Amino acid sequence: MLKKTVWKSLALASVISLSIGITAPASHAGSQTIQVYISADTNIQDLWVKTLVPAFKAANPGYDVNVTFDLHGDHDAQETAKITAASVLHKDPGVDLIDGGFVTTLGSAGLLYRPTSGLLPNIKDVNRAVLTAGKGGIPYRASSVLLAYNTNNVPNPPKTLDDLLAWIKSHPGKFTYNAPSGGGSGYAFVQTVVDKYLSNEDRTTLVQQAAPDLESKWSQGLETLRQLNAYTYGQNGTYPANNAETLKDLATGLVDMGTVWSDQFASALKAGTMPSNIKVVQISNPQLTGGASYLGIPSSSTNRTAARILANWVLSPAAQNLIVSGTLNGFPVIALNKLDVKATAAFAGVDIQNLRAGYLSANANDLKSKWASTVPGK
Amino acid sequence: MKGARLSILGLTLSLPPLILVLVFVGLPIVIGFTFSLGFTKGPNRIISIIGQQIHVKDHWWGTFAAYSDVFHDSRFLGDLGLTLFVTLLSTILVILMGLAISIYQRLIRSKQASILVTLAIVPLFVPVVISAWAIHTFYGGDGFLRSFFSQFGINFPTLTSTSSAIVIGSVWTSLPFAILMISSGMQGIPDALIDAAKDCGAPIIRIVSHILIPLAKTPIIIAASFTAIGILGSFTIPLFLGPNQPTMLGVEISNFFGSYNRPQQSLVMAFIVFMAASGIAILYVWSNVKSAKESGRI
Repeated sequence: MLKKTVWKSLALASVISLSIGITAPASHAGSQTIQVYISADTNIQDLWVKTLVPAFKAANPGYDVNVTFDLHGDHDAQETAKITAASVLHKDPGVDLIDGGFVTTLGSAGLLYRPTSGLLPNIKDVNRAVLTAGKGGIPYRASSVLLAYNTNNVPNPPKTLDDLLAWIKSHPGKFTYNAPSGGGSGYAFVQTVVDKYLSNEDRTTLVQQAAPDLESKWSQGLETLRQLNAYTYGQNGTYPANNAETLKDLATGLVDMGTVWSDQFASALKAGTMPSNIKVVQISNPQLTGGASYLGIPSSSTNRTAARILANWVLSPAAQNLIVSGTLNGFPVIALNKLDVKATAAFAGVDIQNLRAGYLSANANDLKSKWASTVPGK
Repeated sequence: MKGARLSILGLTLSLPPLILVLVFVGLPIVIGFTFSLGFTKGPNRIISIIGQQIHVKDHWWGTFAAYSDVFHDSRFLGDLGLTLFVTLLSTILVILMGLAISIYQRLIRSKQASILVTLAIVPLFVPVVISAWAIHTFYGGDGFLRSFFSQFGINFPTLTSTSSAIVIGSVWTSLPFAILMISSGMQGIPDALIDAAKDCGAPIIRIVSHILIPLAKTPIIIAASFTAIGILGSFTIPLFLGPNQPTMLGVEISNFFGSYNRPQQSLVMAFIVFMAASGIAILYVWSNVKSAKESGRI
């Protein structure tokens, strides 16, 4: 009797649970709506939602763009898993165009639609080396980490990494960089210090492929960083949690120098949250890293034709002008002579065509982990 | 026959949540546990392709390689120590403060006491992210306290990025719930008991220690266990207010899963937190069973 009761109840309950699940979203195969997935900071969300999407829709009537935004890429791992799983199962991933750091990871796994000039005519204007580094990703804007300094207290900013390290030691508590796991601007400083002790050959290997054997060579750079604990802002080697906190510490005058993203800094300056007495400069030997941001079209997307039209349009001079001159102040990926002269004037002092690349994500993850276990609080 | 029909209805009503919990909570826990032991096939296949430093099982039951990774990682013991220290200290502080306010309200029963309790509950309605950021700007290098004291030439220490700041933040966010629990427990104690003790000349200390606290023991234990479990798994407070390293396990799990791309090791840490939380949960269940027995429900 009891057994029968249990089965009856189970059947009824399953029916209820199933009927709740029926309202799952329907497929959007072949539609004119392009699903764009952005994993970045809010400035990139603004670029798409306020600038690129309206301009694209005006230039390509009939197409619609739906933007899904993931702040700071908190769900990169899940999204990567979802797209990988969709590809393995030959299902539509529900995403047609991705803008995020994990695009190159998807590219190396062979999950992206390879960009060729036949399908994306505008790609011929893009720097070859940058395109190759994308492993199937489509470069569409670039940015670099720069050294920001307070002109009131630092009349002559350091020009090389050695100068910068000397400056930090002679001005205790006046420099900071954020934890590398929290944001790219702090990560760039860590990689740059580590790279100081590596040969050019080793640096190139770490950019291009997973190289666990080379990681022992980081120890000298990490030791240099550990010794900086006594001189950076914050007691016992504590560091800001993310990019935004470094910017805030610079803006409020807590520190005189810090590493920042070129685009975030330019946006803050324009918005007035960064006072005008803070300026940026690039250092050399080695320079702080930067690089392109890549778009990816998952090879399993059923709407990839429309996604290609959008990606191709983003590489056009009209769209590149918007990236350069809009609220983002990004670097373009096509030659400057194709762009509005006025818009590119802001980059006078920075060589935006030769950015020093960051490590492959697998190596970068290891460096973040090693930094956390050897530098802060040690 | 009527009883059987009622039991069908009861089972039917209670099964949907039960199935939901089994499928969406129970199953992922089992799958996660097998992954931590190195089962990389089936539902764990995709994560094994993506993750770094994945250990594949070498016995039929799996492998402890990922567990060994975690216990040999120089960060882990510091993280575990900080997590347990913050949880213990914050819970003690929360319960002591909750007791003080509840006892005050119970004994005084004035308008001011009620206002105090109402004020103490306000943080319950402030999202944790907002309060963490507010605490960060209050105790930070350019915060209110340092600015205020510097007017008098005093160099007040920067509390952010220290374990003290995590304790302050945890107490701030956990106190309202503890006060709600404990004060409602105290309100249920009949006046007659307190009056009788007063008539016999018992001092306040004795009334508190022999009547109020023993009679409100169950809500106090519930408040303590919920507070401890909440703090044990906290993320936002230690992320915003704590040092980069050592950090609490909630933040470290997220770092290992996301930034360092080591899902297996992050799962191992998650199971360790899970075990610690289960220990606290046993205390909670034990106290519930005990109070049910005392009141004759079982």
